[in-house]
Amino acid sequence: MKALCWEGVRKLAVRDVPEPTIRAAGDIIVKVRASSVCGSDLHLINGYLPAMREGDILGHEFMGEVVETGPDVRRIKIGDRVVVGSVVACGACWYCRTEQYSLCDNSNPQPVFSEKLWGHAPAGILGYSHAAGGYSGSHAEYIRVPFGDVGAFTVPEGCRTTRWCSPPTPCRPAGWGPTSAA
Amino acid sequence: MTSSGMRWVLGGAATVTALGVGRMVARRRRRHQPDREGGWYVVHRGITVNRPRDAVIGFWTGQERLDRGLAEWATLERLDDNRWRCVASDPAGGGTEWRAELTVDGPGRLSWRVTEGPVAERGRVELVPAPQGRGTEIRAELRWRSGRVRQLLGLASRHDPDLALRSALRRIKSLIETGQVLDTRHDPSGRSPKQEQATDRIRERLTVGGRP
Ligand SMILES: [Zn+2]
Ligand SMILES: [Zn+2]
Repeated sequence: MKALCWEGVRKLAVRDVPEPTIRAAGDIIVKVRASSVCGSDLHLINGYLPAMREGDILGHEFMGEVVETGPDVRRIKIGDRVVVGSVVACGACWYCRTEQYSLCDNSNPQPVFSEKLWGHAPAGILGYSHAAGGYSGSHAEYIRVPFGDVGAFTVPEGCRTTRWCSPPTPCRPAGWGPTSAA
Repeated sequence: MTSSGMRWVLGGAATVTALGVGRMVARRRRRHQPDREGGWYVVHRGITVNRPRDAVIGFWTGQERLDRGLAEWATLERLDDNRWRCVASDPAGGGTEWRAELTVDGPGRLSWRVTEGPVAERGRVELVPAPQGRGTEIRAELRWRSGRVRQLLGLASRHDPDLALRSALRRIKSLIETGQVLDTRHDPSGRSPKQEQATDRIRERLTVGGRP
């Protein structure tokens, strides 16, 4: 598939990359229909957050169609049109159960790096450098979304794709996390 | 200033910087050294699981869940009442195999001893209710023995029991709370195999640093 990759400070390129696969039981794969550019993408592009590696796929505000679901996914179905929060949250740790999704204990697979930087590792964030878990982003044809039941929300019929991808909507789940998780 | 004078200044600054960085790294490495007790290295690590103690104990006794959770990581086979055979799969390839003896010391307390394996190792785990009803603390103590040569070899092969213990605790917590453990290594990227290898090395180094 095609994806927009970070190649170095202020250097981006569209590359052919492998398609994502289901890696954990709660994963879903989303075929990206629209992916917006956030102001914080600029921090990554400009090297302000120094945890990017060559080849990292950018993008964390997006919507699309679910094309594959892991064996533990219950709420989300193949074919659903979903908007996805950029913060990855498990829905089960103490932080998630007290609705502090951006502090999720279980969604950042390489937490020691940010522990060292900030004293505590926050949640993983899709397409947001190796300080936020090293997830591949949404400026691509497909993206893997872990804990799909927690982070993805079906878009009601009659809403146009472009409207739902406008920055305010994805920024909301990014800011205060998925509300219907509980 | 002449250009050769400038070179001297720059050279001096570079040397001072290099010395400073070297000293910082050395200090950090010293701080990272685990305590020693009668020839054993000893570390204590803990993690809080957002589940009652019985649920945490239940996780260990549910063989099917344990197997599914450990699938990518290691296979565990029960040899008899308190002996297990464990084959760990190394993410870099090449399985490390060891046999361990597990003993249940009481409710929520168990200990283990590696009977055959590359490093002499023994450990203890205790489950304690966390304050304010926040679930259960898993408190672990790990002891291992390694001579100077072993230690050097260990550093070269990047085997760090402390690091292994910390990531094991994180995985166990995630398994109990969510039933899965996330990994992003080798997810889609525009990296060449060579760049991916370099990224792996950096990921590992950043992980080893950690909290002193
Ligand atoms: Zn954003
Ligand atoms: Zn969580």
